[in-house]
Amino acid sequence: MSSIPAEHQWFLVMAAGVALATILLNSPVWYLNVLLGLLFLGVLLLTATWRDRAFYLVCAGEPLVILCGIQNLWAGVFVVCTLAGILCSALNLLESREDKQQFGIFLGMVVLIGLLIQFSNHVLLPLIILGVVAFAILLVQSIRMYQFRKQYTGA
Amino acid sequence: MRRCTQGISLLSLLLFAIALVLDDMAVLLAAATLAFCILGQYLAFDRTMRETVRSVELARTLSRNPVRKGTSLKVTTQISVRVPRRVHVRIFDLLPLQAAFIEGETEIALEPGPEVQTRKISYTIVPVIHGEHPFSGLSVQVRNRFFEATMHLTRKSDQEPVLSVQPSGLFAPPPSEMTDGSLDMRKTSAWSGSDVHSLRDYVTGDDLRHVDWKVSAKYTKLVIRKYTAPQSHPPLVIVDLPWKGAPYPEKAFSLMISEVTGMVRHTVHTYQYISVLIICGPNIVHLIREEKNISRCIAALQERMHPSDRFVHFYHTTDRSDIRSRLREAENRIFDEHGAKTIPYYECLRDQYEQVLDNIRTPAFTGQVSRALSQITFSEAFLFTLEGGDTSHIRHVVRPLRTRNIKVQTRIIRTPPPEPEPAPASSPAAGTGVPS
Repeated sequence: MSSIPAEHQWFLVMAAGVALATILLNSPVWYLNVLLGLLFLGVLLLTATWRDRAFYLVCAGEPLVILCGIQNLWAGVFVVCTLAGILCSALNLLESREDKQQFGIFLGMVVLIGLLIQFSNHVLLPLIILGVVAFAILLVQSIRMYQFRKQYTGA
Repeated sequence: MRRCTQGISLLSLLLFAIALVLDDMAVLLAAATLAFCILGQYLAFDRTMRETVRSVELARTLSRNPVRKGTSLKVTTQISVRVPRRVHVRIFDLLPLQAAFIEGETEIALEPGPEVQTRKISYTIVPVIHGEHPFSGLSVQVRNRFFEATMHLTRKSDQEPVLSVQPSGLFAPPPSEMTDGSLDMRKTSAWSGSDVHSLRDYVTGDDLRHVDWKVSAKYTKLVIRKYTAPQSHPPLVIVDLPWKGAPYPEKAFSLMISEVTGMVRHTVHTYQYISVLIICGPNIVHLIREEKNISRCIAALQERMHPSDRFVHFYHTTDRSDIRSRLREAENRIFDEHGAKTIPYYECLRDQYEQVLDNIRTPAFTGQVSRALSQITFSEAFLFTLEGGDTSHIRHVVRPLRTRNIKVQTRIIRTPPPEPEPAPASSPAAGTGVPS
């Protein structure tokens, strides 16, 4: 198992999860799950040496996230988490303890987003909430950056 | 944002739009997780960039300060920075405003490392405007897989030291007056340092410090004082290369190259420009005319200063003026020693000289030298040549200069004698200067 690259290990976890979800949910479009899983595997193998690999992996993984999310929201959340694991492993972003902590924070945030969507009936309300949260983070960050630049650049 | 991040952001926005239009929660999940993933990466990058910028330390030294406008100076900058993991850093040293970059490196690229990395860069600049000019600071470019950002550090410590540029030739006439052929060569007053030469109406671009306010008030218009310019021109350097077709003293030639290079550097530093005439016997190889850029001048010298072909040879022939003086001498002897037995010999000699004078012509080389040097203003010339070989062409260079009252110093470079076994204190003189 240790000879298999980390991103492939994450892919195996994702494939197993998607297969289990397909069986449990008894989806009528199970073949699409298989097709999109194979498509993602192809992109994962093909783009091993490409620049901007993250973009190609995201483009290949998002259809699977949406498809699984349509069948069951938590299946979609699971695919998002494994997709993030694949991306981080492929880009060597899971090397240190600090990296793993950041990854854990991201997974927690994905679960929170999942909960928010779970308890919403329509897109608009969670979209506004997420937008406000993102805006608040960016606002605080802009103020900090302004203070920092003022100190170092006199801007 | 880098290209990859731009693509992912665009995809996220597209998914948000689809989610809103279709009111689909699964698409919203995909879009929101992507957006927060980018946001998280941005926060991490921002923290890394702050760490990097905080760790930057700078120590800048100048080869000389203050400097005169238009002269070059060397800047050495030592930069220390700690580069975090997965980050590439490029640091640019920003020049003072109104300074021209000449040569060297102003940029360093650093890879990630656990320790603080220290690098040193040096470069040459030429300030073109006088005054106090602080450096513009540092530009730090930080880049990782997803983001890149540039920050210009302009703290006081990043702008030190302040470059003090002195004006050059405050009372010198403007370039237009220097180049119109009417050079003002009158001597400067020992008391005031400059004399008022004449008055004229103000024209746009004149220095207001030269306004004669009393006269201006009298005539109710601005009147400018024209000062006598203390003129000082750099010496002309003439280099006589050896002929490629014959053996030449290599050590002496190396000495000559180093002497010429040193003189060129010194002259550019002192006078801001230099003219060099390179000849090889009676052949003009190259003329470097009033070159201000020392690097270009040295490069041109390096390119040309090798033994060269001689398409024309003088074969130790004497020129017309020498033959004329010998003819005069023979005629004087005939006149003085009237009736002596040597008279037929001198008469024969006179006839021979007259015959030669009828046939000999002024060589084209003399005209070429005169034409080349007529473009340059100088009051002194140094001629570097090697000992031995045919030196008959040197008279054709020296004579037209002397007719223009230009002092010519001929430096004949000789091969240094071999040093005795216990090495004595080295002599600074490379060659022997022989004033002609």
